[in-house]
Amino acid sequence: MNNSKKYFLYKYTPAFLLFTSILNEIDFNSEFKYFSFNFAYILIFYYNLKKEGGIGYILIFIAGLFNDVVNGLPMGISSLSYLLLCTAAAYLRNITLRPSLIKDWISFLITILILNFITYSYLILFFNYEINYFNQMANIIGTFLLYLVFSYIFRFYDDFLLGKAN
Amino acid sequence: METSRDDFIIAIRSAFLKKGNQQKFSLLSLILFSIIFLILGNYNFKIVNYNRDAIKEIIYFSSYAVNIPENFIKKSINKVSDHFNHYDNYLITKNQLQELKNKDLEKKIISFENVELKKLIDDYFVEDKQAYAKVLIDKVSPFLRSIVINKGSRNGVQAGMAVYDDIYLVGKVVEVNFLTSRVLLISDINSKVPITIQPINLQGILSGLDEASGQLQYIKKKELIIDNFEKLIVVTSGVGGIFKSGIPIGEINLVDNLINEKLVVNFYRDFSQLKYVKISSHIKENINIDQSNKKIFKENNSQITQLNNQAQDIEVLKQQKVINEEIKFKLQSENIRIKKDLINAQKELSESNKKNKENMNKNENLEFLELNLLFGHKCRKNIFKPQLFKINTAEYRACILNKGPTKKN
Repeated sequence: MNNSKKYFLYKYTPAFLLFTSILNEIDFNSEFKYFSFNFAYILIFYYNLKKEGGIGYILIFIAGLFNDVVNGLPMGISSLSYLLLCTAAAYLRNITLRPSLIKDWISFLITILILNFITYSYLILFFNYEINYFNQMANIIGTFLLYLVFSYIFRFYDDFLLGKAN
Repeated sequence: METSRDDFIIAIRSAFLKKGNQQKFSLLSLILFSIIFLILGNYNFKIVNYNRDAIKEIIYFSSYAVNIPENFIKKSINKVSDHFNHYDNYLITKNQLQELKNKDLEKKIISFENVELKKLIDDYFVEDKQAYAKVLIDKVSPFLRSIVINKGSRNGVQAGMAVYDDIYLVGKVVEVNFLTSRVLLISDINSKVPITIQPINLQGILSGLDEASGQLQYIKKKELIIDNFEKLIVVTSGVGGIFKSGIPIGEINLVDNLINEKLVVNFYRDFSQLKYVKISSHIKENINIDQSNKKIFKENNSQITQLNNQAQDIEVLKQQKVINEEIKFKLQSENIRIKKDLINAQKELSESNKKNKENMNKNENLEFLELNLLFGHKCRKNIFKPQLFKINTAEYRACILNKGPTKKN
């Protein structure tokens, strides 16, 4: 595989994964009764934290709209939470001098807790949604735990494409 | 302190406003966009609704297109596993078929009885509109358990229509686009279905719990369920009018009820395996009039009006007939009376005639007697006048009445 192809894959794989996970029926919520996770959160946070350009804010914005439509949520709510996630990631990237996976991990937990708080509040206050808090907590914990696993996988993939030096 | 605050502001500004090499919009502007989307979503503007529907249609179909490879893989796996389990399934199916055949006849009889009884209490619903739809998306969201189907307002789908898998309730239509619709599954926590628990006949509300089960709410006399040892079936009660009564939903899981305080209902259908669904709305039988029936209804109505008019005419004629009969009876009785009078009159007349005759005879006799006294000697035969007539003969009488014998010229 030549370098241009590798760079193309490096650049567009996250966006491809994001849209595929949103549009596809590979469900991260239904396979097990008490286990689910939000793959989009992990992907967006990781790539916006590690890469300057990230996935691309417009693509993330559109992906959020797609997610809202597919999941039947009010349009704009996922875009808002994804973009706030990007903000948190960009802020962390700017203030971080020595990257550490554990610090990223903890920051990710705090960020998704705040984001879910905003999302739930909006859904409950403005749209009268009834939310199963047990399932949501399981989703947050699953997302938090799997961040570690996926960050290793993403790093391995990037290293494979660009080499460890990059 | 001053420096760290500056760093924070710089980092925030950088995060919000800095555009990357490929970025055309800053994060802040996109966040504002999202908020505008959310705010507009709360209002019912026509243009916003059209745009939203268009975006939804595009995304639904693109999602369906993206799902094609995965669906193909899923189908292939299912096919292979089906082949492996074919013989076992055949034996099970054979036994089940025999059992079902036995039950089918019984069910038919009960169904007919049920229909008759429902008609009697004016609770018999017939399908008004129905359509079959393919499930485009059945992705489980953490917030909403719903499916997207490929029928929309173009096919007559309306919000609130009930959705079935075979005869079992799946959910109801909550969002209708031009070509697609979203169905809220009864497994969703936001779904509230009025139900009846059979055979103990308890009413309640069913809310979604997880993918395969729901939770009963607002149930009075919970002990009836917990102490029960029979199989309890949950069907729709028809309260509220969204669903017709008697649609099967699931069975109550008695084991779970003993362990937890929740009253758990296991759904008959696996909502993650839905491929085609039936959408339908129901109305009461007597107002089931479509366009073709309307014409017949109109004709029937005019016929009924005509018949009513005829009936009224007949009623009038009947009254006339009664009056005529009364008149006829009166006339007949009058006639009889007149006949009697006539007969009486005839009798009187004949009697009077008789009397007249008698009187005439008497008068004749009196005249004869008078003339006899005067002219008897002129007609009576004796020795001296042998040419005269004997007394009491017709010639004698004629001679008396003639006042003597006629003179010969």
